[in-house]
Amino acid sequence: MAITEERPPLELTSGDLPPLEVETLGVFHRPRATHGWASWFTTVDHKKIGIMYGFASFFFLLVGGFEAILIRTQLAVPGNKLLSADLYNQVFTMHGVTMVFLVVMPLAAAFANYLLPLQIGARDVAFPRMNALSLWVWLLGAIFFNTSWFLGGGADGGWFNYAPNSGVVFSPSHGIDFYAVGLLIMGIGSTVSAVNLTVTVLNMRAPGMTLMRMPVFTWMTFIVQVLLVFALPVITVALILLTADRMFGATFFDASAGGDPFLWEHLFWIFGHPEVYIMILPSFGIASEVIPTFSRKPIFGYPFMVGSGIAIGFMGWGVWAHHMFASGMGPISVLAFSLATMFIAVPTGVKILNWMATMYGGRIRFTTAMLFSVGLVAMFTIGGLSGVTHAFAPMDTQQTDTYYIVAHFHYVLFGGALFGLFSGMYFWWPKIFGYFLNEKLGKWHFWLMILGFNLTFGPMHILGLQGMMRRTYTYTEGQGFNGWNLVATIGAYLIAVSILVFMWNVIRSYRQHRANPVNPGPDPWDARSLEWMVPSPTPEHNFDEVPVVEDFDEFWHRKYGHDEQGRPVRIAATEDVVQKGDATDVHLPSPSYWPLVLAAGLPLIGYGLIFNLWWALPGAILLIAGIYGWVLEPSTDPSAGHGHDDDHHHDGDDGDAAALEEPSGDEADTASGDEAGEGAGVASADEPEPAMASASADAEDGGSK
Amino acid sequence: MPRNRKATVVALISTAAILLGFWLIIRTIGQPTGKPLNTLAPFGQQAQDIQNLTIPVFAVAGVIFVLVMVAVIWMVVRFRAPDDAVEGEHEPAQTHGNTPLEIGWTIVPAVILAVLAVLNVQTLLRLDDTGENPLEVTVAGQQWWWEYRYDLDGDQTPEIVTATQMVMPAGRDVTVKIQSNDVIHSFWIPSLNGKKDAVPGRTHELVFNSDNPGIYEGQCTEFCGLSHGVMRMQVKVLPPAEYDVWIREMTKAPAQPTSAAASRGEALFVGQCARCHEVNGLTPDSTPPFTYSDEPSPDYGVEVDSSLSSKNAPNLTNFMMRQTFAGNLLALWEGDAATAVVAVPGQVPGATPDKVNIKRWLRNPQDVKPMDAENNQGMPNLNLSEDQIDDLTEYLVTLGPSTRPAA
Repeated sequence: MAITEERPPLELTSGDLPPLEVETLGVFHRPRATHGWASWFTTVDHKKIGIMYGFASFFFLLVGGFEAILIRTQLAVPGNKLLSADLYNQVFTMHGVTMVFLVVMPLAAAFANYLLPLQIGARDVAFPRMNALSLWVWLLGAIFFNTSWFLGGGADGGWFNYAPNSGVVFSPSHGIDFYAVGLLIMGIGSTVSAVNLTVTVLNMRAPGMTLMRMPVFTWMTFIVQVLLVFALPVITVALILLTADRMFGATFFDASAGGDPFLWEHLFWIFGHPEVYIMILPSFGIASEVIPTFSRKPIFGYPFMVGSGIAIGFMGWGVWAHHMFASGMGPISVLAFSLATMFIAVPTGVKILNWMATMYGGRIRFTTAMLFSVGLVAMFTIGGLSGVTHAFAPMDTQQTDTYYIVAHFHYVLFGGALFGLFSGMYFWWPKIFGYFLNEKLGKWHFWLMILGFNLTFGPMHILGLQGMMRRTYTYTEGQGFNGWNLVATIGAYLIAVSILVFMWNVIRSYRQHRANPVNPGPDPWDARSLEWMVPSPTPEHNFDEVPVVEDFDEFWHRKYGHDEQGRPVRIAATEDVVQKGDATDVHLPSPSYWPLVLAAGLPLIGYGLIFNLWWALPGAILLIAGIYGWVLEPSTDPSAGHGHDDDHHHDGDDGDAAALEEPSGDEADTASGDEAGEGAGVASADEPEPAMASASADAEDGGSK
Repeated sequence: MPRNRKATVVALISTAAILLGFWLIIRTIGQPTGKPLNTLAPFGQQAQDIQNLTIPVFAVAGVIFVLVMVAVIWMVVRFRAPDDAVEGEHEPAQTHGNTPLEIGWTIVPAVILAVLAVLNVQTLLRLDDTGENPLEVTVAGQQWWWEYRYDLDGDQTPEIVTATQMVMPAGRDVTVKIQSNDVIHSFWIPSLNGKKDAVPGRTHELVFNSDNPGIYEGQCTEFCGLSHGVMRMQVKVLPPAEYDVWIREMTKAPAQPTSAAASRGEALFVGQCARCHEVNGLTPDSTPPFTYSDEPSPDYGVEVDSSLSSKNAPNLTNFMMRQTFAGNLLALWEGDAATAVVAVPGQVPGATPDKVNIKRWLRNPQDVKPMDAENNQGMPNLNLSEDQIDDLTEYLVTLGPSTRPAA
């Protein structure tokens, strides 16, 4: 949408522009609030959006976790009758879909939204209103998907949902309709978000922030967005075919009518395998921020870390059929995909070794964040090694669809992705909310979780090798599955306890903070990247002035030089190099109703498709109203105040890109050559102050005090 | 330096602990009894081939696992910041990387994998070899049981159609041709070979060759709906001579019922069960006196109009030649006869049909196995009276070789 909007040429970044003559529709007034509960519904601030992603996906973590507890309770003993086969099939399907699409992906999106602009020195993402749109579309899609529980039952075909079992003949309830339409809706949100963040990384970097100076988290998130841009269309096609089969009598997957069930398998996994990397790479990025910070060393082999991430991203497209070694595709296909899968272990192994090399020789502080990241390294290693064992196609034909696979991907997605995300929560919590999470409770959380996790999923390796099949609602005496299943169930309850500890930690830390506020300061961990330069919690405009970047780990290099042995030597006090957050004249895009209005139309259309097409009518009206309202609304409210100093320039600036005023990377290279970072002044301050841009300048400042 | 020593001690202890754990796990997994689906206890050539690949791969993975875990544990202890750490003292050197080292640990794993890749390719090719003059058995999966068809003379119509228990001779290559009649299933006998999916519209081949007579358990491993978790199967490997006996008995029509109860049961079968189930020669239109045929009619279920259930139900001719029924969930014989590796279970000394199980099934099949008959998935509850159940049971136990000792 931003592309079609009229935008003044970039060179006109100074001087008065004529205000646009467009007013918001009729009786509707533009939202103005930037504080209070109402502001959350209309915000376009990437930080608020990130926080909402975080809380919503944590809520769904509780939902998916409850489903997991049901599964484990059912399987604790043989022949359990807690859940019927039908209900069990719904619960494990909903658990999988929830954890993938409603927890891990959006939780990573929470970090991406909040941190990515900060880490590249931007004031917001490229398209702030579209950012709000992706949140609302995803959230309403997620709620829509879960309402299936109350409207005839959840999806019961597994998250992979193979045809023809997913057809109306074999699954007549509406569960799979909710799956198809719900994922289509959420896919819109993810696609919008992926495009937005890709553009943000490519166009919005601060002066001097070349691609190879970006923090590893930003790099991994960037790779994920590119993967999403390419992977989501594939699942979208598959879901549209499925919807056509189920709702309109098409026969794409019906072998007796000339369709082919393999079509779904291939489409699903062409999406589904990159999806695995979409889920794990953000956590790799988080660990790559946390481990250097708490080891007091830069990440070991930055180019290799970035390169292996890119390699994983590329190779991830060539291994999808390793999910199908037993499907009966020909031996040549099996051979090719088997070999490709084996070698994707190489770049992954490089990451593990580089994290270890980062810790080697460091001075490691075991904060909760660091514990979770080290936990990730250890647990992901287990998941990675078991993954290699089923890259060997003959072995996979014994292992696939057994609990060995369940163990494997939980070590990857729980021990890898979720541990990384928890690490990130403890790490960035003070930055985001302005108070620390309690470290003592945090350590209880970690140790309970890693113990419960290993008790739950460790025994599943053994169960799987002893032949316990996946997706089974029960097992019987005499199959040899009794004891370990009970252990796994006990472990699952331990994980639940650890989550309760975490929630208690959040509540208790918040209460203590309310009673006795102690600001953690901009840089509580003595960290390395740009987000730690701004106060905690981050001010709405992020940076008082956009920093000019001269190095990887820019913020660290403003604080520390090094002696001849390469050891860090303080060259500037932290308080002298951080920003105050008191800039008064920063133009920010104005809040808007329209993303929420537009998004609200989609679930209504979904209900219409499933139950009665008439219901889609109000949805379509909302959708079209949303689009028109959006298009007619300038991104910056012409009649609203701009902070404290709103009359100088850019009135009616209608670029969706909040910070496109800033020089892009190309200009930045030139700018960063200038003394004292004049380039940064162009950003938005009306009277550019000399930025403390270079480490050398800081060193002199620090030295003179 | 004491910290160094502490780290080494902790690392050694954890190495010992991990190795002890490995040993315990290997012992647990290695125990063959009581784990009918164990993937690491091969009783067939193909499963052995897979095992021969599994052991070196697991060994390499195990070594890497120990190295990484112990290194992490060592570093965690060795490089932990002292509690009294002061900024500016004993700061770590700011190493940014070491390109030769990193290239090294990119290449070394690649080389290890390349070596293992050779084994991988060899095993794949071996598993793809269907051998010479294989016996072909067609296996068809449907919700939630397996049908086995034996086309003995190669005329494209099967002489034997049976269910639940596949029978094959020891020492001969057997090619299983796997098909599906509804959704995707997966045929898996872990003791004999890996699994392969049954996909509608396709025929997939899997090779078995076992020198070890025995009954091997299997389990559907592609999610196939409601009762996927209890969709089981068995393969019985018989010595060649016994296998010949099995073929002979299975191609003969069963003995006609003699008792009055069994005859009433036979009439009931024609009236109710034959709408879906076949006993060769009987159809819903049959009239007394009933006579059997020694050949199944092809696609029985499809030709018979039934609005009650799926078009496919197990062929029950020579029902008592099986040792389990209801998708292997219930034993058909009491005691040893249910597990004996013989062609004719009824000839095992003391063999007694398990009528309690049969009646339990007839009383309400959905109590044994979740099914959705209203949606053409599985067997409906026929609401038979207890008398009808008794008669039907008496009839069903007659469906076997005439040489069967009187029960």
